[in-house]
Amino acid sequence: MRLAAVDRLAGAQKLYIGQNLADARAMVPDLTAREIDQPLLEAAFGIFADWHSNASPLVAVMSDMNAYGDLVLDITGVSHLFGSELAMLRMLVLRLRQLGYAADGAVASSIGAAWAASHFAPNRVVAADQTGSLLDGLSVAALRLLPMQIAGLTQMGLKQIGQLRGRDRKGLQARFGASLIMRIDQAYGYLEERMTPRLPVAERYAERKFPDPIGLMDDVLMTTHDLGIQLGIRLESEGLGAQAFHLFLYRVDHKVMTLSVNAGSPTRDPDHIARLFANRAERLQGEYDAGFGIDMIRLAASSVAPLEPSQLGAFSRGDDTDLGRLYDRMSSRLGTLSVVRSAFVDTHIPERAVRLEPVIARSIDNPAALPDPEQPRPLRLLPMPELVGITAEVPDGPPMAMTWRRVSYRFVKAQGPERLNAEWWRSGQRLVLVPPATPQELEELKKLGKTPPYIPNVPLFYTWNAVRDYYVAEDAGGRRFWLFRLGIYGVAPNPTWYLHGFFS
Amino acid sequence: MSSLAKQERLAVLRASIANIERRPVLSEPSSAPDHGTDQFIVPAPGLVQEVFADERRNTAALLGFALGQARGLLTPVRRAVIYLQMLAEAQEMGLPYGPGLASFGFDPDALVLIRPANMIELLWAVEEALACGAVAAVIADIAGHPKVLDFTASRRLSLRADAGGTSLFLLRYGAWREASAAQLRWHLTPALSATTQFDARAPGETRWRARLERGVIGDRQNQEWLLEWTENGFQIVDDRRGRPAGPVERPALPGALFADLADRLSEAG
Repeated sequence: MRLAAVDRLAGAQKLYIGQNLADARAMVPDLTAREIDQPLLEAAFGIFADWHSNASPLVAVMSDMNAYGDLVLDITGVSHLFGSELAMLRMLVLRLRQLGYAADGAVASSIGAAWAASHFAPNRVVAADQTGSLLDGLSVAALRLLPMQIAGLTQMGLKQIGQLRGRDRKGLQARFGASLIMRIDQAYGYLEERMTPRLPVAERYAERKFPDPIGLMDDVLMTTHDLGIQLGIRLESEGLGAQAFHLFLYRVDHKVMTLSVNAGSPTRDPDHIARLFANRAERLQGEYDAGFGIDMIRLAASSVAPLEPSQLGAFSRGDDTDLGRLYDRMSSRLGTLSVVRSAFVDTHIPERAVRLEPVIARSIDNPAALPDPEQPRPLRLLPMPELVGITAEVPDGPPMAMTWRRVSYRFVKAQGPERLNAEWWRSGQRLVLVPPATPQELEELKKLGKTPPYIPNVPLFYTWNAVRDYYVAEDAGGRRFWLFRLGIYGVAPNPTWYLHGFFS
Repeated sequence: MSSLAKQERLAVLRASIANIERRPVLSEPSSAPDHGTDQFIVPAPGLVQEVFADERRNTAALLGFALGQARGLLTPVRRAVIYLQMLAEAQEMGLPYGPGLASFGFDPDALVLIRPANMIELLWAVEEALACGAVAAVIADIAGHPKVLDFTASRRLSLRADAGGTSLFLLRYGAWREASAAQLRWHLTPALSATTQFDARAPGETRWRARLERGVIGDRQNQEWLLEWTENGFQIVDDRRGRPAGPVERPALPGALFADLADRLSEAG
């Protein structure tokens, strides 16, 4: 067990990160040690990082050195909102310090240089032309290197970054690996380094800050409507509409709540957007927690597409004749997968012939898959065919009596069979999740003392076991059922009967 | 002006005044009583109809009856029918099946399925759909006797249906009838299907025995019909003869129109 983090008091006792716990206890007998919960810290730091998107939309957690603790903000085109780069840096660092965190920062022209400066020469703005001179004087540890690389370089007397600059790059690469060269180039800005922002990047957004935090959902929704108007004007001036909208609620206690809604077709109507969010909010009633209040709200639009301006008639009823909007509203409240239509699939297997797809994400119909209205098909289909007990003449007679859900039925009329064959091209195959191991692999596994992957003995698929003979059967009460027999008498081991649907 | 035209005119005026005042009209089915035909009088749009079956296993008959009526309500403006069923009941009652709709004679593309998780969301969705002017009919499958669907809720729905002119079909099961504000209430039982011409053992056209328990269609009240579903719509079957009543002889065009046309032709001539 080693120390993963030490506080200031422990640092004063000369304890260091990476030290053996037993050694540390020997040095400081009354040491308080706690086990570190890495995933929790990472998640918490992620939330913390999201909160920083109130300063710049591009925020990432840099996990090169530590899984948490390093935060990268792209402040291109943002710093002037805070006065200057220095003022922004000071604001960001000071507000963290006020919260009781030990934080340092730096502004530089490359991510590598900013990391080096923030860890080894903190709290300064490094201009682009000073980057070289600053880095030259820093320790090689400022290059985000592996401990082994740092030890090797130090052993060779290469303690400062500047000493590496004039060296033969091929020699360095051969000795310390390509990553050293890459880190040097990244720090000096010869090699571009990218960051992956945590939150969806939206170029088009509107935001509002509140002097006093707000908490009520109604207030949030009202603000959403106002922001929707701003965003709508912006989108309209560009001739665009958006299909996805995201609402970011920045809480005073440094958490960000996000809500997203989707529309079936591009829109920029603030009323519609506000209604979608109101419906969405309805769904999360219990989960909504404003904490100590919300001090900033941002409404962003993504999935933008051109939307021609349209003229509204003076007496048009507008909203209430639009089916697309009805589906949007329903999807936002009930969930996208609850508002569905039948899309036809080109197959003869009845339960697979229809796919329920969300209305707001409709695909293009396949004309070859459209059903034939001449075929008898039930009005209601059971998603899973139900096993029923059937009395029928062997081998091919229509069903005469049925027991379904513990009720027995006597049929007076029947029609059939309609034979739906199984997919012959899958005959002689079986479901395989893992390919079976070859004899050589098996031997190797035996040598290593491992067991080969378990492959269940699933029977092979044969079409005559899965042929279906469909019958329409009507009982004396006029109820009509769609029944099928799975398998053929005499060929399949034991044919079974299923109920698959009801006719009107 | 004939009394019929006067009545229609009055109904239109009443509806427009109600639209101005945003107040529901006193619902009266506007379709005129039509004697002497074998066609089933399809109730006017904008009504709430409860369709009861004794048992859940008759669920497909209810759906067929509602879809048959809804098909007649589809127009180029009102081009969708919304069907609602709770998510958990799909396996119990079965889901409307696209190819089955096509063979029934209903365009599967016009039907949108809504699958809410609970009854409150279902009623919300019904209300929302009723308010939309592009929806022809809303069909809600309500399996049990939920507490939230009380008289107040059904009154609310009937006002919505009336204001928007969208029909609502509530498919209900069981013998228990709650107080509700539905204008029409049907009791529907499936009947033995018609005989087919070539195969006596095969099931033929769908038949239902429908009893109007509440409300008035035309001037019929508390009447029972044996209905048959044909490709042209509902047809009344004469119970004693057990086959559809024959078509009634009538002129190809109404007399008044014919005379009017002749006048104009002579003027032009």
